[in-house]
Amino acid sequence: MKISLFVTCLCDSLYPRAAEAMVRLLARYGIALHFPDVQTCCGQPAFNSGYWQEAKASAHTILEAFEESDYVLSPSGSCTGMIHHYYPELFADDPVMLEKAFRLQKKTFEFSQFMIRVLGIQDIGATFPHKVTYHPSCHGSRLLGVKEEPLLLLEQVKGLELVPLPFAEDCCGFGGTFAVKMSDISGAMVSEKVDHILETEAQVLVGTDMGCLMNIAGHLHVRKEPIRVMHLAELLYEGVSGHAISRS
Amino acid sequence: MNEADREVLLRLEKESRSKQERFMQQIADRLGRQRVTEKPEHPFKGAPPEWHRYALDQEEQIALFSDNWKKAGGHVFRFPHLEAAKQFIAEKAEELRAHAIIRQNQPELNALDWERAMPDVEMVVWQTEQAADVLRYAAGADIGITMADYGVAYTGSLVCTSSGDQGRSVSLLPAVVMAILPAERMSTRLGEVLAHFDGRPRAEFPAGIHFISGPSRSADIENDLTIGVHGPGVVFALIVG
Amino acid sequence: MRSADPSTVQERVRHALSDEFLRNAVKFTTERLRAGKQAASEEHPNWEEWRERARQIRLHTIAHLDYYLQEFVENARANGVHVHFADTAEEAAALTLEIARLRGARSVVKSKSMVSEELHINQALEGAGVEAVETDLGEYIIQLAKEPPSHIIIPAIHKNRYQIAELLSKEAGEELPPDTTALAGFVRRKLREKFLEADIGMTGCNFAIAESGSIVLFENEGNARMVTTVPKTQITLMGMERIVPTWADLEVMATLLPRSATGQKLTVYMSGISGPRRAEDRDGPEQMHLIIVDNGRSLQLGDPHFQELLNCIRCGACLNACPVYRHIGGHAYGSTYSGPIGAVLKPALNKNVAEWDDIANASSLCGACYEACPVKIPLHDMLVYLRQRKVEQGERSREESTGMKGFRYVMSSHKRYGRALRWARVMQKLLLQDGVIKVRIGPLKGWNSYRHTTPLPKKSFREGWQALEQDIQREHGGMDERVRERLRRYLEGQEKGSKGDE
Repeated sequence: MKISLFVTCLCDSLYPRAAEAMVRLLARYGIALHFPDVQTCCGQPAFNSGYWQEAKASAHTILEAFEESDYVLSPSGSCTGMIHHYYPELFADDPVMLEKAFRLQKKTFEFSQFMIRVLGIQDIGATFPHKVTYHPSCHGSRLLGVKEEPLLLLEQVKGLELVPLPFAEDCCGFGGTFAVKMSDISGAMVSEKVDHILETEAQVLVGTDMGCLMNIAGHLHVRKEPIRVMHLAELLYEGVSGHAISRS
Repeated sequence: MNEADREVLLRLEKESRSKQERFMQQIADRLGRQRVTEKPEHPFKGAPPEWHRYALDQEEQIALFSDNWKKAGGHVFRFPHLEAAKQFIAEKAEELRAHAIIRQNQPELNALDWERAMPDVEMVVWQTEQAADVLRYAAGADIGITMADYGVAYTGSLVCTSSGDQGRSVSLLPAVVMAILPAERMSTRLGEVLAHFDGRPRAEFPAGIHFISGPSRSADIENDLTIGVHGPGVVFALIVG
Repeated sequence: MRSADPSTVQERVRHALSDEFLRNAVKFTTERLRAGKQAASEEHPNWEEWRERARQIRLHTIAHLDYYLQEFVENARANGVHVHFADTAEEAAALTLEIARLRGARSVVKSKSMVSEELHINQALEGAGVEAVETDLGEYIIQLAKEPPSHIIIPAIHKNRYQIAELLSKEAGEELPPDTTALAGFVRRKLREKFLEADIGMTGCNFAIAESGSIVLFENEGNARMVTTVPKTQITLMGMERIVPTWADLEVMATLLPRSATGQKLTVYMSGISGPRRAEDRDGPEQMHLIIVDNGRSLQLGDPHFQELLNCIRCGACLNACPVYRHIGGHAYGSTYSGPIGAVLKPALNKNVAEWDDIANASSLCGACYEACPVKIPLHDMLVYLRQRKVEQGERSREESTGMKGFRYVMSSHKRYGRALRWARVMQKLLLQDGVIKVRIGPLKGWNSYRHTTPLPKKSFREGWQALEQDIQREHGGMDERVRERLRRYLEGQEKGSKGDE
């Protein structure tokens, strides 16, 4: 059985530690992820800006990379959502690619979704004695419908105090190129999100999408707030292994 | 209406008819098909099917209605018979120092002896006066009294329909409105009342159907709830039976 | 319209973001409405099923719009209504003026109507010397301020009581206290007279019922009832898509609209008007006119991406849920309709792509609007489609276009992508400052105005993969049998499921 990692360009380039945590966690269940290196980016930055030809060129690499896979796992609800929600639209006028897109759609899962819905594992045996708050990313929760899964996993972590985030479901203001094009609105949104995070007095912010987490972490850094920002897989991995991913 | 006006209306009517054809044809063209002239199958008509099974008994209906009506800022009282409701209205009128009252020309109300209950109050009955005056009178009235045609427990609504004997103004223009609902006219769901209007012959169709669910209100100034903006600020639902 | 309205979206946004009162007011109001909706949708059983039902009713009606509109029109005529059709805003205004002339009208009282705002009817009436008075409290306030509404449901959301007291004091000719009850009391007295004197009452239309030719109005203040009860003539403006087939269908809309808008179980008044007063009636209009308006609506028909836009019931829930609206308010959208629905409706009603401004870009595509929508309009998808059409039709900025060409070049080959990463890692050394990137140049300008950017790590994931893979193989054995079993079963279940779907 071939279970492949769809690493996403953001985790590949900027946050390999999140993807590595995912790989190492799954290895504990004997799942040796396969990494086809022809993959680049799901195409979302171009797609969302209206540049569909450009998006297609990038999306082709994803369709090609996972042609032979039985399962495809990704550390991002947003990129998984792109495949689920928009690939059929993107390839609507290309029957061959559309067929591939539908096949990919069926076998692609976001990390927490895979753990809960496919493997049925809630308790990963982790201990993480910190005060944690969780930001549900919009695309993962709304486009993909992954709402409960990350919380189910967090609830089983020993010692973890989960503090509810006020207005959790409000967007953090990332939105890909939105943060660049409409930077003032985006800035107002991330600033309010950080206010809410600070209200919780949590030590750690956890999420399932590095785009949003990068946005929030970047603003926390400007405000010199020492809150640790982690991908869910990173938190769980640290909880079972006792140490963070360190990449030399 | 004079001749010139009639001519304008006729011309507008003619223009409208020819435009209507183009309008409908354009819709069909845009939808990429022929005109639909036969009634289409409507498989999703109305509320979800299981909602129709939602039914409360009369006491539950009245309890739910009262709860909703009060939450919206209205007052509810219950009486064993109309006579007691009339007595209550008389007491309230005295308490509110009402001078002018208007009421509908409905048989249930006509059967009551208002004169004796409120000898000092002027009470005008809808329809018996000249139209213009009666509107002005209603606008200046302290209290309007009406029987309601239906009640809806789930939304906390009373329904008043218009006719020659039932002015729309009576439940709208006075500062205080007293609406009497015989308990058996209460229903659980909104759809039960709406069903009365589906398929009703045109000759029996009222020009105005008004669902009323509390006092007139607005939150347009800084979200601050204000009662009695244009309609009545005080509304009593008097349930009889 | 406001004369000093800054012209571009960016300028309007900056203007809005610097207005502290506006931002707090919008936040406070949208939070109140959103909480109300939340409670109302949780209290009503099977909310999701009702949403789907409402969507189906709207889809069905729009798919058969020629039939239902025709049925409605014929029934309205049989009820004694004078029905008119307007393709454009200008035609609707011209018809309104013709009716006003016919009735010798000097004044019109109006209840809140978004379509009348869209058509700028007030300006047309005033131009012809007919007084037009908005009677919804919020609309009256913004009419005095000469501003467009900034929210579909709460038009004067952006005004505080002091500003309102000032506006109303001018009208009253005396100093009014900044007290809500006193201010509303003044408006009640003032408008009471206007109602009684007006020649024409003008309304919008929330729903039109095909089977009986009735229009249905939802409101809380009672001004729509006044407008349809007191004046001798009534004019109703109605978007051509406002139809529902039957009164039974109205139950679904009446359940979802107020709950989604304000959290009410039903608005204080829901009025069904079926023609002018009957011969024996003593109130209600003697003559009733209905103007059915297209104004760009029919352009959505048959468009696979935008037809659902016609399903909108104008509840405003998407505004209250929208994190962008929350920060910039309604005026920044620069059109009658604001929020997510406005961002889509404005360009959609006007298909000339070159004339759209950047409003479709003012969204993070978070999907909160779709989740809030009682008829499930995928507004977040539509925003993407709008952007796509703009690009497809050649309306693109050079900067972005160049950036996207670069994206395509790099992302269409993993080798180029790998090289680009290595190159970026070298280049970023020039920009590093205290371990992060803070410079505000090029595409980093806006981003870094609010954030510090983490640098690329020493190795990308793909560069470290070989070592990681070896590590894993060394440390762990084969796949756990139970895991294998679950994976197999899930795949089989999916196969079956997908066959079942077909």
